[in-house]
Amino acid sequence: MAGSASEALLVGLGAILGAWLRLKVVNHFQPMVPKKHWGTFLVNVVACFGLGLVLALNETCTASAGIALLMGVGFFGSLSTFSTFAVELLNELRAGQALTALVLAVASIGAGLLASALGYGLGTHA
Amino acid sequence: MPETKPSLQLELQELLLVGAGAVPGALLRWQLALYLGDQNLLVNVFGAALLGLLAGLPAAPRRQLLLGIGFCGSLTTFSSWMLAAMKHLGSGDWAAALGLIGLTLGLGLGAAALGFSLGRRLKPPEPPQSRM
Repeated sequence: MAGSASEALLVGLGAILGAWLRLKVVNHFQPMVPKKHWGTFLVNVVACFGLGLVLALNETCTASAGIALLMGVGFFGSLSTFSTFAVELLNELRAGQALTALVLAVASIGAGLLASALGYGLGTHA
Repeated sequence: MPETKPSLQLELQELLLVGAGAVPGALLRWQLALYLGDQNLLVNVFGAALLGLLAGLPAAPRRQLLLGIGFCGSLTTFSSWMLAAMKHLGSGDWAAALGLIGLTLGLGLGAAALGFSLGRRLKPPEPPQSRM
């Protein structure tokens, strides 16, 4: 295993918080039947912004490597999720809702790219 | 249905299950990124297949918290994927950005579908109806 035990601790701690917050946000949107997958959309876009910011701050040496592990790899990495996004797209496709799947995919990727560029840009010029 | 506030015990159990899955998921993602140089296609496709399989199995809330929300959710990452694509776009490499987005999305969806159909097949047959 590469990396030290304290680095692993930072990643693990961030991951618990990120995954727990994701559960809370997704559960909040779950009862809203026509738009329950927007909870996943929200955590993913927020995490794109946050990860962009943390990576840029780390590259400009404003944030330490420890912060990058805790917040970047651990927290924002676990707050965002690709697997739920893929399964939610699959669910829409299986239900014959190709248009909803398309809208969800395009909106998620578009907003994700924009949010990561904003976060990264903000961190670079901070 | 009236919304009931979950008890502290249930909240703690939820946190424990999700955390117990999230830690190995994130550590595995981190280790693979160190060895494979920051590419997340492998973890994302594998996680999508596993979550698809879980979705095909009969519902089990605690297994879903541990393996689905915790492990698969933290193993896979949407933000690193977008950051990598954004960096390609930033350096004017549209082909690399579109390739990364299309490949991950296509393979991820395919893996989720494959996992799902496998999960459906693993589902134990319905118990025989008891005669009155």
